[in-house]
Amino acid sequence: MKKGVLILVFGLVAGAAAYACIYFACTASARSLQRTDKPELAWLKEEFNLSDAAFQRVFDLHAAYLPQCRDMCREIDAHNVKLQALLSGATNMTPEITGALAESARLRSGCQTMMLRHFFQVSQAMPPEQGRRYLSWVKEKVFLPDYGMPNEK
Amino acid sequence: MKANEPGDHEEALRKVLKEWRVGAALPPRFQDGVWRRIEQAERAPAPIAPSAWAVIAHWIGTMVPRPALAASYVAILLAIGVTAGWAQAHRETRRVKNELRERYVRVLDPYQTPRR
Repeated sequence: MKKGVLILVFGLVAGAAAYACIYFACTASARSLQRTDKPELAWLKEEFNLSDAAFQRVFDLHAAYLPQCRDMCREIDAHNVKLQALLSGATNMTPEITGALAESARLRSGCQTMMLRHFFQVSQAMPPEQGRRYLSWVKEKVFLPDYGMPNEK
Repeated sequence: MKANEPGDHEEALRKVLKEWRVGAALPPRFQDGVWRRIEQAERAPAPIAPSAWAVIAHWIGTMVPRPALAASYVAILLAIGVTAGWAQAHRETRRVKNELRERYVRVLDPYQTPRR
Protein backbone atom coordinates (compact mmCIF):
# COMPACT_ATOMS: atom_id res chain seq x y z
CA MET A 1 0.00 0.00 0.00
CA LYS A 2 2.74 2.45 1.01
CA LYS A 3 4.70 1.79 -2.16
CA GLY A 4 1.57 2.28 -4.27
CA VAL A 5 0.79 5.61 -2.59
CA LEU A 6 4.38 6.75 -3.13
CA ILE A 7 4.11 5.95 -6.83
CA LEU A 8 0.81 7.86 -7.10
CA VAL A 9 2.30 10.89 -5.35
CA PHE A 10 5.48 10.70 -7.44
CA GLY A 11 3.41 10.65 -10.64
CA LEU A 12 1.44 13.74 -9.58
CA VAL A 13 4.60 15.60 -8.58
CA ALA A 14 6.31 14.65 -11.85
CA GLY A 15 3.27 15.84 -13.86
CA ALA A 16 3.14 19.15 -11.99
CA ALA A 17 6.89 19.65 -12.41
CA ALA A 18 6.66 18.94 -16.14
CA TYR A 19 3.81 21.47 -16.43
CA ALA A 20 5.77 24.16 -14.58
CA CYS A 21 9.02 23.58 -16.51
CA ILE A 22 7.34 23.72 -19.92
CA TYR A 23 5.17 26.70 -18.98
CA PHE A 24 8.08 28.79 -17.70
CA ALA A 25 10.35 27.80 -20.57
CA CYS A 26 7.74 28.63 -23.22
CA THR A 27 6.67 31.94 -21.67
CA ALA A 28 10.25 33.15 -21.11
CA SER A 29 10.27 35.31 -24.25
CA ALA A 30 6.92 36.93 -23.42
CA ARG A 31 8.04 37.65 -19.87
CA SER A 32 11.31 39.15 -21.07
CA LEU A 33 9.33 41.44 -23.41
CA GLN A 34 7.17 42.64 -20.53
CA ARG A 35 10.18 43.33 -18.33
CA THR A 36 11.75 45.76 -20.83
CA ASP A 37 11.57 49.53 -20.51
CA LYS A 38 9.34 49.90 -23.58
CA PRO A 39 7.57 46.57 -24.03
CA GLU A 40 5.68 47.67 -27.15
CA LEU A 41 8.97 48.46 -28.91
CA ALA A 42 10.51 45.22 -27.68
CA TRP A 43 7.54 43.45 -29.20
CA LEU A 44 8.11 45.33 -32.50
CA LYS A 45 11.75 44.25 -32.53
CA GLU A 46 10.83 40.62 -32.00
CA GLU A 47 7.82 40.60 -34.31
CA PHE A 48 9.72 42.13 -37.25
CA ASN A 49 13.08 40.43 -36.55
CA LEU A 50 14.90 43.74 -36.34
CA SER A 51 18.68 43.87 -35.95
CA ASP A 52 20.04 46.07 -33.19
CA ALA A 53 20.94 48.78 -35.73
CA ALA A 54 17.49 48.74 -37.33
CA PHE A 55 15.86 48.72 -33.93
CA GLN A 56 17.92 51.74 -32.85
CA ARG A 57 16.69 53.66 -35.91
CA VAL A 58 13.08 52.70 -35.14
CA PHE A 59 13.59 53.60 -31.49
CA ASP A 60 14.91 57.09 -32.42
CA LEU A 61 11.99 57.70 -34.78
CA HIS A 62 9.58 56.57 -32.08
CA ALA A 63 11.16 58.89 -29.51
CA ALA A 64 10.96 61.82 -31.94
CA TYR A 65 7.32 61.06 -32.79
CA LEU A 66 5.96 60.83 -29.25
CA PRO A 67 6.13 64.59 -28.40
CA GLN A 68 4.22 65.40 -31.62
CA CYS A 69 1.67 62.74 -30.71
CA ARG A 70 1.24 64.18 -27.23
CA ASP A 71 0.74 67.70 -28.66
CA MET A 72 -1.87 66.31 -31.02
CA CYS A 73 -3.62 64.54 -28.13
CA ARG A 74 -3.80 67.79 -26.17
CA GLU A 75 -5.16 69.64 -29.19
CA ILE A 76 -7.81 66.97 -29.81
CA ASP A 77 -8.83 66.93 -26.14
CA ALA A 78 -9.14 70.72 -26.03
CA HIS A 79 -11.17 70.75 -29.20
CA ASN A 80 -13.44 67.94 -27.95
CA VAL A 81 -14.22 69.93 -24.79
CA LYS A 82 -15.13 72.92 -26.96
CA LEU A 83 -17.28 70.78 -29.27
CA GLN A 84 -19.10 69.14 -26.35
CA ALA A 85 -19.86 72.56 -24.87
CA LEU A 86 -21.30 73.72 -28.17
CA LEU A 87 -23.37 70.55 -28.59
CA SER A 88 -24.66 70.35 -25.01
CA GLY A 89 -27.24 73.13 -25.31
CA ALA A 90 -27.73 73.08 -29.08
CA THR A 91 -31.04 72.25 -30.72
CA ASN A 92 -30.16 73.52 -34.21
CA MET A 93 -27.11 73.72 -36.39
CA THR A 94 -25.18 76.93 -35.83
CA PRO A 95 -22.20 78.37 -37.68
CA GLU A 96 -20.10 77.68 -34.56
CA ILE A 97 -20.99 73.98 -34.62
CA THR A 98 -20.29 73.78 -38.34
CA GLY A 99 -16.93 75.44 -37.74
CA ALA A 100 -16.14 73.09 -34.83
CA LEU A 101 -16.97 70.02 -36.92
CA ALA A 102 -14.77 71.30 -39.71
CA GLU A 103 -12.02 71.79 -37.17
CA SER A 104 -12.54 68.17 -35.97
CA ALA A 105 -12.12 66.94 -39.52
CA ARG A 106 -9.01 69.07 -39.95
CA LEU A 107 -7.52 67.71 -36.73
CA ARG A 108 -8.26 64.12 -37.72
CA SER A 109 -6.74 64.64 -41.13
CA GLY A 110 -3.66 66.26 -39.59
CA CYS A 111 -3.36 63.39 -37.12
CA GLN A 112 -3.62 60.76 -39.83
CA THR A 113 -1.05 62.57 -41.96
CA MET A 114 1.35 62.71 -39.02
CA MET A 115 0.87 59.01 -38.22
CA LEU A 116 1.19 57.90 -41.80
CA ARG A 117 4.40 59.90 -42.21
CA HIS A 118 5.76 58.17 -39.11
CA PHE A 119 4.73 54.73 -40.32
CA PHE A 120 6.48 55.30 -43.65
CA GLN A 121 9.64 56.44 -41.87
CA VAL A 122 9.56 53.39 -39.56
CA SER A 123 8.99 51.00 -42.45
CA GLN A 124 11.95 52.53 -44.29
CA ALA A 125 14.13 52.02 -41.21
CA MET A 126 13.41 48.27 -41.40
CA PRO A 127 14.72 45.70 -43.87
CA PRO A 128 12.53 45.97 -47.04
CA GLU A 129 10.51 42.79 -46.54
CA GLN A 130 9.81 43.52 -42.87
CA GLY A 131 9.05 47.14 -43.74
CA ARG A 132 6.37 46.04 -46.19
CA ARG A 133 4.91 43.68 -43.63
CA TYR A 134 4.93 46.41 -40.97
CA LEU A 135 3.20 48.91 -43.27
CA SER A 136 0.56 46.43 -44.30
CA TRP A 137 -0.17 45.56 -40.68
CA VAL A 138 -0.13 49.08 -39.22
CA LYS A 139 -2.26 50.58 -42.01
CA GLU A 140 -4.88 47.92 -41.44
CA LYS A 141 -4.71 48.49 -37.70
CA VAL A 142 -4.98 52.29 -37.76
CA PHE A 143 -6.78 53.09 -41.02
CA LEU A 144 -9.61 50.60 -40.79
CA PRO A 145 -12.88 51.44 -42.57
CA ASP A 146 -14.57 51.66 -39.15
CA TYR A 147 -11.90 54.02 -37.89
CA GLY A 148 -12.87 55.49 -34.57
CA MET A 149 -15.64 52.95 -33.99
CA PRO A 150 -15.44 50.27 -31.29
CA ASN A 151 -13.22 47.56 -32.70
CA GLU A 152 -14.49 44.03 -32.16
CA LYS A 153 -11.58 42.38 -33.98
CA MET B 1 -3.18 -61.99 -7.75
CA LYS B 2 -6.94 -62.51 -7.96
CA ALA B 3 -7.53 -61.06 -4.45
CA ASN B 4 -6.34 -57.66 -5.67
CA GLU B 5 -9.13 -57.20 -8.20
CA PRO B 6 -11.62 -54.27 -7.55
CA GLY B 7 -14.66 -56.55 -7.12
CA ASP B 8 -12.93 -58.43 -4.28
CA HIS B 9 -11.99 -55.14 -2.57
CA GLU B 10 -15.55 -53.88 -2.56
CA GLU B 11 -16.81 -57.15 -1.24
CA ALA B 12 -14.29 -57.09 1.61
CA LEU B 13 -15.13 -53.47 2.45
CA ARG B 14 -18.86 -54.17 2.51
CA LYS B 15 -18.25 -57.05 4.89
CA VAL B 16 -16.17 -54.90 7.25
CA LEU B 17 -18.77 -52.11 7.28
CA LYS B 18 -21.56 -54.61 8.10
CA GLU B 19 -19.61 -55.89 11.05
CA TRP B 20 -18.61 -52.39 12.30
CA ARG B 21 -20.41 -51.24 15.44
CA VAL B 22 -19.95 -47.87 17.16
CA GLY B 23 -19.49 -48.49 20.83
CA ALA B 24 -19.11 -44.87 22.10
CA ALA B 25 -22.25 -43.09 23.34
CA LEU B 26 -23.24 -39.66 21.95
CA PRO B 27 -22.51 -36.73 24.28
CA PRO B 28 -25.51 -35.50 26.26
CA ARG B 29 -27.97 -33.24 24.34
CA PHE B 30 -26.06 -33.88 21.16
CA GLN B 31 -29.04 -33.32 18.90
CA ASP B 32 -29.98 -30.03 20.66
CA GLY B 33 -26.44 -28.85 20.19
CA VAL B 34 -26.55 -29.62 16.48
CA TRP B 35 -29.81 -27.71 16.03
CA ARG B 36 -28.52 -24.78 18.04
CA ARG B 37 -25.45 -24.49 15.84
CA ILE B 38 -27.62 -24.60 12.73
CA GLU B 39 -29.83 -21.80 14.08
CA GLN B 40 -26.80 -19.70 14.98
CA ALA B 41 -25.39 -20.12 11.51
CA GLU B 42 -28.70 -19.01 9.97
CA ARG B 43 -28.89 -15.96 12.25
CA ALA B 44 -25.31 -14.85 11.49
CA PRO B 45 -25.16 -11.82 9.12
CA ALA B 46 -24.21 -12.40 5.51
CA PRO B 47 -20.61 -11.50 4.68
CA ILE B 48 -20.36 -7.73 4.04
CA ALA B 49 -19.23 -6.55 0.57
CA PRO B 50 -15.91 -4.69 0.76
CA SER B 51 -16.21 -0.88 0.79
CA ALA B 52 -15.08 1.24 -2.16
CA TRP B 53 -12.18 2.54 -0.13
CA ALA B 54 -11.09 -1.02 0.70
CA VAL B 55 -11.19 -1.91 -2.99
CA ILE B 56 -9.17 1.20 -3.90
CA ALA B 57 -6.68 0.58 -1.10
CA HIS B 58 -6.31 -3.00 -2.22
CA TRP B 59 -5.81 -1.89 -5.80
CA ILE B 60 -3.22 0.70 -4.79
CA GLY B 61 -1.41 -1.85 -2.69
CA THR B 62 -1.35 -4.62 -5.25
CA MET B 63 -1.71 -3.19 -8.77
CA VAL B 64 0.04 0.21 -8.73
CA PRO B 65 3.44 -1.15 -7.67
CA ARG B 66 3.58 -3.36 -10.76
CA PRO B 67 6.45 -1.93 -12.83
CA ALA B 68 4.57 -1.72 -16.13
CA LEU B 69 1.54 -0.03 -14.57
CA ALA B 70 3.65 2.36 -12.47
CA ALA B 71 5.75 3.38 -15.49
CA SER B 72 2.62 3.91 -17.62
CA TYR B 73 0.98 5.98 -14.89
CA VAL B 74 4.01 8.25 -14.48
CA ALA B 75 4.45 8.56 -18.27
CA ILE B 76 0.80 9.54 -18.76
CA LEU B 77 0.96 12.19 -16.03
CA LEU B 78 4.21 13.55 -17.51
CA ALA B 79 2.60 13.74 -20.93
CA ILE B 80 -0.45 15.52 -19.50
CA GLY B 81 1.81 17.96 -17.63
CA VAL B 82 3.90 18.74 -20.72
CA THR B 83 0.85 19.17 -22.97
CA ALA B 84 -1.04 21.34 -20.48
CA GLY B 85 2.08 23.45 -19.81
CA TRP B 86 2.71 23.97 -23.50
CA ALA B 87 -0.93 24.86 -24.25
CA GLN B 88 -1.17 27.28 -21.34
CA ALA B 89 2.16 28.90 -22.25
CA HIS B 90 1.06 29.24 -25.86
CA ARG B 91 -2.16 30.99 -24.76
CA GLU B 92 -0.30 33.26 -22.37
CA THR B 93 2.35 34.21 -24.94
CA ARG B 94 -0.33 35.00 -27.50
CA ARG B 95 -2.20 37.12 -24.95
CA VAL B 96 0.92 39.10 -24.03
CA LYS B 97 1.85 39.68 -27.67
CA ASN B 98 -1.66 40.81 -28.56
CA GLU B 99 -1.62 43.19 -25.64
CA LEU B 100 1.74 44.67 -26.69
CA ARG B 101 0.59 44.96 -30.29
CA GLU B 102 -2.49 46.91 -29.20
CA ARG B 103 -0.35 49.00 -26.90
CA TYR B 104 2.00 49.94 -29.75
CA VAL B 105 -0.96 51.18 -31.79
CA ARG B 106 -2.48 53.05 -28.84
CA VAL B 107 0.82 54.81 -28.16
CA LEU B 108 1.03 56.05 -31.76
CA ASP B 109 -2.58 56.89 -32.52
CA PRO B 110 -3.95 59.93 -30.66
CA TYR B 111 -7.49 58.72 -31.33
CA GLN B 112 -6.77 55.40 -29.61
CA THR B 113 -4.62 56.75 -26.79
CA PRO B 114 -6.40 56.30 -23.46
CA ARG B 115 -7.29 59.67 -21.93
CA ARG B 116 -6.74 60.39 -18.25
